[in-house]
Amino acid sequence: MAEGKVLVADDEIHIIHVVTIKLRNNGYEVISAEDGVKAFALACAEKPDIIVTDYQMPGMTGLELVRKLRQNETTKNIPVIMLTARGFAVEDKEQEELEISELLSKPFSPKELLRSIEDILYQRQVTRNK
Amino acid sequence: MFLSSVTNLYAIIISVVAAAGAILFAWYRIRLTGGITSIIKELKTNKTSRIESGESKIPNELSGAINDRFDDNSNYIAQLQKQIKDLQMQVRLSQGQKRNTEAIIYGIRDAVIVVDEFDKLLMANEAAGKLFNFDYKNSQHKPVSELLGGENAGTGKNEFVNFLCHSREGKVRHIRREIEFSNEGRPGIFDCIVSCVYGEQERVCGVVAVLHDITREKEVSQLKTDFVNHVSHELKTPLASISAYSEMLVDGEANDEQTRKEFYAVIQSQAERLNRLIEDILNTSRIESGLIKIEKKPVSLTILIEQQLQMIRGYAEEKDIKIIGQKPIVFDQVYADKDMISQVIVNLLSNAVKYTPRGGTIKIGTEVDETAGLARVSITDTGVGIPKDEIEHVFDKFYRVDANKKQAKGTGLGLNLVKQIVEKAHNGRVFVTSEPGVGSTFGFELPLATAETVNA
Repeated sequence: MAEGKVLVADDEIHIIHVVTIKLRNNGYEVISAEDGVKAFALACAEKPDIIVTDYQMPGMTGLELVRKLRQNETTKNIPVIMLTARGFAVEDKEQEELEISELLSKPFSPKELLRSIEDILYQRQVTRNK
Repeated sequence: MFLSSVTNLYAIIISVVAAAGAILFAWYRIRLTGGITSIIKELKTNKTSRIESGESKIPNELSGAINDRFDDNSNYIAQLQKQIKDLQMQVRLSQGQKRNTEAIIYGIRDAVIVVDEFDKLLMANEAAGKLFNFDYKNSQHKPVSELLGGENAGTGKNEFVNFLCHSREGKVRHIRREIEFSNEGRPGIFDCIVSCVYGEQERVCGVVAVLHDITREKEVSQLKTDFVNHVSHELKTPLASISAYSEMLVDGEANDEQTRKEFYAVIQSQAERLNRLIEDILNTSRIESGLIKIEKKPVSLTILIEQQLQMIRGYAEEKDIKIIGQKPIVFDQVYADKDMISQVIVNLLSNAVKYTPRGGTIKIGTEVDETAGLARVSITDTGVGIPKDEIEHVFDKFYRVDANKKQAKGTGLGLNLVKQIVEKAHNGRVFVTSEPGVGSTFGFELPLATAETVNA
């Protein structure tokens, strides 16, 4: 069983629900937020190991959230996976600049999301142990 | 290119006529004087020799020679006259062609500018004059840099002048560039096509530029892109839930019967959402394109509202929302498509319930303005309201008030559909007033059914 805390940010309650079940079934602790503002506050307070965020959210978009995370000392190194229903919404340059680990297009596979989370956290663990 | 070629042709023909006339006249003079000189010479020679020899035939020979010469010269004159007539005909033809070309250029809606090899204006049409704000009829031979560019012209117009001059210097046959500059005070995008005109030995003797306004095309293209982006986003959102929940069920991630039922319910509700969305998109598109069949007949708004209230009442009761009904009206018949107006009423009522917090109130008002010949329906809620700067956009396609997105799910198509049905299909009017935190009033006006339509 994997260990780690995942923050899921999406304004679609069903997406939060399904991702939460998938990750909890696989040993992760899941916290969630329905908009970017709440997600940022939660990230600062809870310091999750990884963040899964939607691209389009009310109040603060996924990109704005990541930009804010990168500017904050506590959250700047947290890896981010972004879900997007808009084709080509994030340019390669933007992804690189904001250090977004992975972009997943909606509709996405919960299995694929889980695999991505595991890979990213494993890579970080390996880097830390070196 | 065409204009320039014709103008060049015209100049060439004029030159040819002048040159040919001069040559023929000179040739005629030489022939005539040469002929007379030779006759006199012959006369002198003959006279001397024949006087010396005692013969006296000179007058007859002289007469014959002179006649021959005059015959020759008459032929030359006739030939010359024919050639001059031909050349005059060609001049008239080329003048006619020039006028035709000018008429074509002046009639073109695109701006057309023709400059010479020194970047001075040769010709421009009215559209060019309007676009660059100059007197297009009286600006010949002025430098284009002064006429079209300059400090006050703006970056785009100066960019065009540079583009024009560089194209000539670079001897470019055809080149095009999209340039943005203001057109009668509004920002515009122009497709600028520049073609060099070649004279002898491939020398560039001028440039023709055509500027086609593509602002509207660009806007339409952007609207299409935005529409596709919105639609794909709106379609993918419920599809994402359906796909994820199905995968979870297939993979056995729903551990108990209760969870499985929950998953099935989500899939069903998201499939319904997807269907509603597709229906809304199709209906909006059908009304916009005028393809939908509108079956208008006299219908009572009071009855339609009552019918739609039956559908929405359960949803309102769930949220403990009180609905205050309309006052009965004696005559409230409008000439309308019953199904379409029912859709309008249900969209407005369901929005009111969606955005009104628990325990709120919804008031439905109907009134008839007989003087204006209108029936008016208003639905007032005690909901979250709409910020002032967003209110003008609420009927826009896919527009959703940012602050209210969390309040309820929506596609941003419902109110647009209301507007399309009322205004486009029924020549009515939609209206909205709102105060954030207090509530909103949405409504519409429709023309009353007239005696003719009621009896029809």
